[in-house]
Amino acid sequence: MRQPVKIAIPSDPKYLCLTRSVLQQLLSLHEAPEDMARKIVLCVDEACSNIIKYGYGGRCEDPIEISFEIENDTFTVKIRDYGKQCDAGKIKPRKLDEVKPGGLGTFFINEIMDTVHYCTKREKGTLLTMTKKLRQGAAASGIKN
Amino acid sequence: MGVKFHFDESDNGVTTLAIHGEMDMSSSPEVRDRLTSLFKTNRRAIIVDLSKVAYIDSSGIATLVEGLQWSHASKNKFRLAGLSPAVRDVFEIARLLSIFETFASKEEAMEGV
Repeated sequence: MRQPVKIAIPSDPKYLCLTRSVLQQLLSLHEAPEDMARKIVLCVDEACSNIIKYGYGGRCEDPIEISFEIENDTFTVKIRDYGKQCDAGKIKPRKLDEVKPGGLGTFFINEIMDTVHYCTKREKGTLLTMTKKLRQGAAASGIKN
Repeated sequence: MGVKFHFDESDNGVTTLAIHGEMDMSSSPEVRDRLTSLFKTNRRAIIVDLSKVAYIDSSGIATLVEGLQWSHASKNKFRLAGLSPAVRDVFEIARLLSIFETFASKEEAMEGV
C-alpha cells in the first residue's frame, strides 16, 4: 500500500460510522483476520469519540483527519485534530475493578493497539498515531492479539 | 446509522427492549434515554436483546453498565441477551462479561426472572 487512505469527517458523532465503514473495508481488502479488524475499528472509533468529547468539547463542526496505512502487515492510523491538546501523561484508562460507566475507551486503545503515541508538538491540536500488527505470530513480541 | 427499538412488556413485570443498529457515541444517548425511562417504571426485570446490534463501543457498554447499577440499586433483574461475537468481544476486552447476566437468546433470558 504505497499511499495512505485518508478520510476527514466533521466532529459530529453521526459521522463516526463512516470512518468505521471505510476502515472495515480497507482491513477486509488486506485480509485482516475478522476479530483483529473488529478490534482495530473499535480503537479508531474510540479515539475519534475522545477527540469529539474532550478535544472539541462536543462541538460538531470541527475537523478530524484520519489516515490509514498498511505496510508489511502493520496497520498504522494517524488521527489529527485541532482542538484542545491532550496531556498524554494524564490520559489514564479506567481501573478494571471499577464497574462504572465511562473511561473504557482509553483502556480499549491501550489494551489492543501495539503502540499509541500522542504528539502535541504543534500549535493546535494533537496527532495520535497508533499501530497494530495484523496477524498473530507476525509480531516480534506477540503479546497482544 | 441510528438505532431502532422494539419493546415487549409481559404481564409478569418483565420488559424486553430489543435494540437494532449500532451502539456508538451517536446512538448511545438515545439508548440511555429509553433505558432510563424503563428504570422509572420499576419493572421486575429488564432484558436487553442485543441480537440485532452489530457494533458496540465504550459508550454503549457504559449505557448498559447503568442498567447494571439500576439492577443493584433496585434489586430488579437486568439481563442481556443475544450478544453477537462482535459485541461479546467488546465485553470480554472490558472484562465485563462475568459481571452481567448474559443469555444466548431473549427466550432463555426470560426463564427464571
